[in-house]
Amino acid sequence: MTVAEDLGGDAPAETGAVARIPSASARTAPELKMTARSCDVFYGDNHAIKNVDVDILDNTVTAFIGPSGCGKSTFLRCLNRMNDTIDICRVTGELTLDGEDIYDAKVDPVQLRARVGMVFQKPNPFPKSIYDNVAYGPRIHGLVRNKADLDDVVEQSLRRASLWGEVSDRLDQPGTGLSGGQQQRLCIARAIATAPEVLLMDEPCSALDPIATARVEELIHELRENYSIVIVTHSMQQAARVSQKTAFFHLGHLVEYDDTTKIFTNPHDKRTQDYITGRIG
Amino acid sequence: MTLLTALAILIIAAAAFLLGRAKASALAGDNYAQLHSRPNYHGLYSLMWVLIAGLGALIVVSGLAGAVIDSTMTSRASALTGEALSQIQLDLMLNDARAIATGGIPSSVDPAREALAEYYTAAGFWRGVAVLIAGVGAALAALLRTRSQISMEWRARNRSERVIRAVLAVSATIAILTTVGIVLSLIGETLIFFNRIDWRLFDYFFGTTWSPLAGVFEGKLDPEKVGAIPLFAGTAMITVIAMLVAVPIGLMAAIYLSDFASPKVRAWTKPLLEVLAGIPTVVYGFFAAITVAPFIRDNGGVIVPILGLLAAVIVGFLALLLLERARPGFRQSLTRQAGGYGLVAYFAVFALGGLAVIWSANPGFTFDVASESALAAGVVMGIMIIPFISSLSDDVINAVPQSLRDGSYGLGATKAETIRQVILPAALPGIVSAVLLGVSRAVGETMIVVMAAGQGANLTWNPMETVTTVTVQIVALITGDTEADTAAAPAFALGFTLFFITLALNIYALRIVRKYRELYD
Repeated sequence: MTVAEDLGGDAPAETGAVARIPSASARTAPELKMTARSCDVFYGDNHAIKNVDVDILDNTVTAFIGPSGCGKSTFLRCLNRMNDTIDICRVTGELTLDGEDIYDAKVDPVQLRARVGMVFQKPNPFPKSIYDNVAYGPRIHGLVRNKADLDDVVEQSLRRASLWGEVSDRLDQPGTGLSGGQQQRLCIARAIATAPEVLLMDEPCSALDPIATARVEELIHELRENYSIVIVTHSMQQAARVSQKTAFFHLGHLVEYDDTTKIFTNPHDKRTQDYITGRIG
Repeated sequence: MTLLTALAILIIAAAAFLLGRAKASALAGDNYAQLHSRPNYHGLYSLMWVLIAGLGALIVVSGLAGAVIDSTMTSRASALTGEALSQIQLDLMLNDARAIATGGIPSSVDPAREALAEYYTAAGFWRGVAVLIAGVGAALAALLRTRSQISMEWRARNRSERVIRAVLAVSATIAILTTVGIVLSLIGETLIFFNRIDWRLFDYFFGTTWSPLAGVFEGKLDPEKVGAIPLFAGTAMITVIAMLVAVPIGLMAAIYLSDFASPKVRAWTKPLLEVLAGIPTVVYGFFAAITVAPFIRDNGGVIVPILGLLAAVIVGFLALLLLERARPGFRQSLTRQAGGYGLVAYFAVFALGGLAVIWSANPGFTFDVASESALAAGVVMGIMIIPFISSLSDDVINAVPQSLRDGSYGLGATKAETIRQVILPAALPGIVSAVLLGVSRAVGETMIVVMAAGQGANLTWNPMETVTTVTVQIVALITGDTEADTAAAPAFALGFTLFFITLALNIYALRIVRKYRELYD
């Protein structure tokens, strides 16, 4: 099913007043991976996310932009149910992965997170060796049968995170001893090793210097071949560089969601224009 | 009089503060910002010098006068009685004189004592006057001096901070000097003890018979019977039992509190657990002696087989770890044996083996358990240590950054996997140091062992028998009716050895904690 067919059918009914779902993609449209329909999130009494509808496409980088506190990270954490670990957080609406409701009682959040991996703002390698950091996911999910396979997975993951060359001779050293940029790529390698289908990245470059940022962006570009990637970023230049789709959040609303080029050249909504030209946020 | 002087100095100090502050304010006038130090600092500087000078003069003069009075009274006492007095007679006489002078109850009254008392009263008055003059004089001098120094440029702020720093340094020095003094006296007495046993260090460290006062009637220590091994073995056994109880329970309680308990449960559970730490050890002691020890004695037939079974399973587990290390994958292949019950069978063999060993030693399962046992003391001591382990471990586990938990959950790990594979390894150094602090408490614990484990210096492997520990023997030596000079020497030697062991443990624990801090800072 293409996006065009899917959205063509029920776009008028599904989309709210604020969110604009793109009508069609110029190129051959990628598959629909995840959807959100009238999603609301509450922190206690605080209504953090208001009636958000988004489609996440496969093999596409989707960027969430918006001023601090607009709810983009909160929404990102709904996509792999990381908000479940926060007691006062409540999520309503329909969120699907490959058409299945991820908030269904039958879904185990632990298994969901193996399919929807996450990379965090601050690099958080475990205080273990580089090897054990990457091997963590495959081990707990039983993805490999023996040591040789595990070695293989670790090497492949580190290669795809373009870290292999820098650490191949010191896999037994602690992951916490790497530089910040290396640590973040280690965390990306760790997330890839679990073989997720979707990779959520919550401001993955905000703690990195420009050189490390460039490497991570390059990496995101390459990872797009195999994964659906959602990235939250404060940097509009970064969103413009790495993403194909961009969603602009403001005060808990999804203001606009469209092709990245469209958002940055010809935004539909005044607030989006104000934000990308630096007038708000 | 001394109290009055001190009060006067305090009043002068308060006045100095107000005067200094007022003068500084007046000097500054409208150019408040031009003043180098704020008026309060001028006041503070003045106040501190008044206190130091006044109280210093008070202490010095009072001490000097006291010494003069004492020596005068001593020489007068000899002159009045006309005979050479022994030290003890002299002390008695002077004390009586003081008692008469202050309205106390003397042992006897005679003209010589009354004459001395009269002198003591008069001298005491003049001493008070001298102290008053010196103290108040010094305080006033300090007030005038510091007040005259006040000017726009006067750096009262920097100077008063220097004075404060000096006061802090003196306080720290007192604490350190006390420790050094205790250690030095421990070392000195220990050397005396070793001298008394003719430097037979080997007998002390490796001998197996402890009865140091056996030769006391001949006026010397018996170097054959100063073997401290049974004491240290007893200490070690009770400590191991205590840690076997405290570490698993404390650690699991900590994990529950930090990662599973809701904030509400945690809010009242943690203080409750810490109440355990507030119970005096003497209470634990009689709990062990009155309740636990008799229970163990009466139920030896059940407890001994259970202990044997546990010991065998632990041995089996350790063997499994070793085998797994030697041949990776051993555990998995074992699990697949016997239709998936391979691991169960493996442990069953060990458990039955343990029971068989006990059965072969005692076929009737009737055990003669002492009414005081290492087990009773160890178990109760373990309960006492639980709050230390759980509270410290809970803090350490909480200190593991949330980002590590998120990272693990984000990879699809369950809570248990996250705790076992990420949180505990990250917190391990802190947990180890908590355990080591628990160990040093167990090593130093006395009351529980005195009451529940007995006093016989028994070298044994059997936790159901009575044993003794280093601390218990120190108590026995010091509170016994042997004269202190003789009894103290072995006590000091034991104390020093124990101090050394605990010190080594604490240093090791601190090093681990430091390493742990470096990991996250």
